[in-house]
Amino acid sequence: MLEIRNVHKTFNLGTINEKHALNGVNLKLDEGDFVTVIGGNGAGKSTMLNAVAGTWPVDDGAILIDGVDVTGLPEFKRASFLGRVFQDPMTGTTATMQIDENLALAARRGQKRGLRWGITKAEKEHFHELLKELDLGLEDRMTSKVGLLSGGQRQAVTLLMASLQKPKVLLLDEHTAALDPKTASKVLALTDKIITENHLTAMMVTHNMRDAIAHGNRLIMMNNGKVILNISGEEKKRLTVEDLLLKFEEVSGEEFASDKALLG
Amino acid sequence: MKKATKFASVVLAAALTLSLAGCGSSDAGTNSTQSSGNTSGKTYTIGICQLVQHEALDAATQGFKDALTDKLGDNVKFDEQNAAGDASTCSTICTTFATNNYDLILGNATAALQAATAATDTIPVLGTSITDYATALDVSDWTGTTGKNISGTTDLAPLDQQAKCIAELFPDAKNVGILYCSSEPNSIYQSTTITKYLKDEGYTVKEYTFSDSNDVASVTQSACDNSDVIYIPTDNTAASCTEAINNVASPAKVPIFAGEEGIAKGCGVATLSISYYDLGYTTGEMAYDILVNGKDISTMEVQSAPKFTKEYIADRADALGITIPDGYEELKAD
Amino acid sequence: MFLINYFSSLNPLAFTNALPGNIAQGLIWGIMALGVYITFRLLDFADLTVDGSFATGGAVTVMMTVKGYNIWVALLCACIAGLLAGLCTGLLHTKLGIPPILAGILTQIALYSINLNIMDRHANQALSVDKYSLILSSRNLTSAIVIGLLFAAVLIIVLYWYFGTEQGSAIRATGCNPAMSRAQGINIDNMKLIGLSISNAIVALSGGLLAQYSGFADVNMGRGGIVIGLAAVIIGEVLGDAILGKRMDFKGRLIFVVIGGIIYYIVIGIVLWLKMPSDDLKLFTAIIVAIFLAVPYLKGKSKSSFAKAGKRAAAMLAGRSATAYGDVDAKNKEEK
Repeated sequence: MLEIRNVHKTFNLGTINEKHALNGVNLKLDEGDFVTVIGGNGAGKSTMLNAVAGTWPVDDGAILIDGVDVTGLPEFKRASFLGRVFQDPMTGTTATMQIDENLALAARRGQKRGLRWGITKAEKEHFHELLKELDLGLEDRMTSKVGLLSGGQRQAVTLLMASLQKPKVLLLDEHTAALDPKTASKVLALTDKIITENHLTAMMVTHNMRDAIAHGNRLIMMNNGKVILNISGEEKKRLTVEDLLLKFEEVSGEEFASDKALLG
Repeated sequence: MKKATKFASVVLAAALTLSLAGCGSSDAGTNSTQSSGNTSGKTYTIGICQLVQHEALDAATQGFKDALTDKLGDNVKFDEQNAAGDASTCSTICTTFATNNYDLILGNATAALQAATAATDTIPVLGTSITDYATALDVSDWTGTTGKNISGTTDLAPLDQQAKCIAELFPDAKNVGILYCSSEPNSIYQSTTITKYLKDEGYTVKEYTFSDSNDVASVTQSACDNSDVIYIPTDNTAASCTEAINNVASPAKVPIFAGEEGIAKGCGVATLSISYYDLGYTTGEMAYDILVNGKDISTMEVQSAPKFTKEYIADRADALGITIPDGYEELKAD
Repeated sequence: MFLINYFSSLNPLAFTNALPGNIAQGLIWGIMALGVYITFRLLDFADLTVDGSFATGGAVTVMMTVKGYNIWVALLCACIAGLLAGLCTGLLHTKLGIPPILAGILTQIALYSINLNIMDRHANQALSVDKYSLILSSRNLTSAIVIGLLFAAVLIIVLYWYFGTEQGSAIRATGCNPAMSRAQGINIDNMKLIGLSISNAIVALSGGLLAQYSGFADVNMGRGGIVIGLAAVIIGEVLGDAILGKRMDFKGRLIFVVIGGIIYYIVIGIVLWLKMPSDDLKLFTAIIVAIFLAVPYLKGKSKSSFAKAGKRAAAMLAGRSATAYGDVDAKNKEEK
């Protein structure tokens, strides 16, 4: 479904801040795969997601979604293949627009936006049902501005938006990192539910090793802009945090330097 | 809490308006209208809309008021407004004059006259400090009268006489450069007209135009390089940049003949000048004829200033070695 | 003495007489403010093109009418000219990467020359209501107000509809959250181009109306227009929020933008009526706009925890010895 072939990306080339963020990343996702991505700070996790999303062009390599080479497509054109949820709850939704308007925008992802009315009656009813399933009471506040919602509520709405038009790949970029632990676990549960119900292919970046182990059918670890570990199937089910730390040291030759990952 | 905020914002808005009012009241005395006396006869109210604060325009307004006060004493009231150079404000001022149904409106400068004529077709409108009525009012077949509720005075000194002055001052010159701002219709009109007269005097004439005050110096330079004498018409942009023009023309030793006194003072050697005070005074007399003598404004011809004076700047004439013939009065440079 | 003279010189009747003119002119500028609202509020793009495109609208309307075209045709062409001006700013920004303010200034400066050329190199061109059949004129204020209202009403309805459509919603989303918009497959460059074009078309329309109203087009007629437009938008918002509160919706906002324009011109009327020095008018306008723009920011700042924590820290430092530092830090952490 998704194929990343030998992708390279260097930021601030030729300056003192030069950074080789992606150093030949190779990854292949089959339909229905749910991959969790872990790695230290600056390992290239989010950069890889942004490369897939097309936030900027990559220096080398190719990205294929469902067999289509999207390497040369700008971000807004790739959007028709992708659902995205961001780390910052502010990023995924439009604060000054109503909840239903946000959903309606997402429902037209990848379609031509013409002069038809921005939201239909049927859609409103549909959204009402979907919001009801979230069980956050949002179905009664459909005309509220999204800016009035809490971070967790906004991430829930963003998840819903990402799945309205079934994406080829769902990209989750540390989407629970900015939430308190209780809300985070609620949003994660919702993530699982949406992915399972819609049979989505997904990639989730997280700082939290336990979450990375508990969710999805595959796990990859990144370091210095490369995929250094790729675990799936039964092997993943038996993984523990200690295993992961050991593997990290084994493969990279350094200690896993993130308190957050240990504590989480 | 919410209510308090709402209330506060309304109060804030009101306070702002009031503070604006407060700012103005301190110097309002200088602007206040003359209070009406109790002598016999009707009291006339006249609205004066002046485009911008400017020496010449101020003098014209003063002359206009003096003429009417001389004749009517306390029986005339003036509502004097200045648009601070904003053409759109002229409309605001003149529509107010019209809705107040004043007896007469004076439009001092082109935009003020245009705004006044747009606002009313019944109240008599007089213009002053206007060079070319045909352009200002968009009349194609100009006969000297408008046939409407509009008349006034022009600040144009007769261009044929100006050409004659140039001929008598600079008999040996060959090339005359005309320097003006390309966006001023008044200047374009004067330039084309005087070009004819100058050619009749045997000169080669070339136009040098700038589009705003930023290119004045460079355009003046090229005019100086290619001309023996430069002529500047009554051009507002040139009038505000005389220093810049002088800084180029004076080292280049090229004499400038100016279309009006202000420019002559700033950078010229000589001019055929009118007094804007006299021009305003003449306009005031026209107003008196309309208001008291019942003259029909639509048949009144646009008038020129009552007299023209040949003037020269002694310092500059000496420096350039120009002999000034008889009949020129000395004018002090700025 | 001065004061007595001053107040006796003020005629309350003169003020009420001035009202119709102020309302008519305010309506025209209110229409212009609708254009400014689209870029400034919906697109989050401080577009300075309007100073130029307003005069373009006036110039095209006047010149075409003088050349014998029907006034409605002239006004339509004015809109198209404004649309192109907005498109130009948009292309400078999206295709050439020039920052919004600079892109607007560049187009505005270019328009000065273009406007002069449109007006046959005249800085000022008369348009007499006696010679041409105009849509409105300051000659007949009642009809000017009615026609101004009609134009404003039609525009508000059209804008309300348009920004409710899929495309209009996409423009609104672009202005508020470009990252989200891209992620939803919205071509934000195109949305900016469309928004700027519509905005400047409306501004040019209003310029065309004002030229008819005042009987002339002037190359400087748009100078400071952005500030008047902003003043109208902001006065309208403050007033609308105060009156309607939570019930202020998109329709209400558009209506109050036009009302903001009218109020602005009534204030100008008051200033002139009080015989204040009109030279300072622009300064006052700038101050009013600056204050109204600053209020929401300052309100937000006084509520932020930084300010509160800072105050508490200052109070503690004043009250206790320097050992209180640790205490303050602990409290700040709690706050987070």
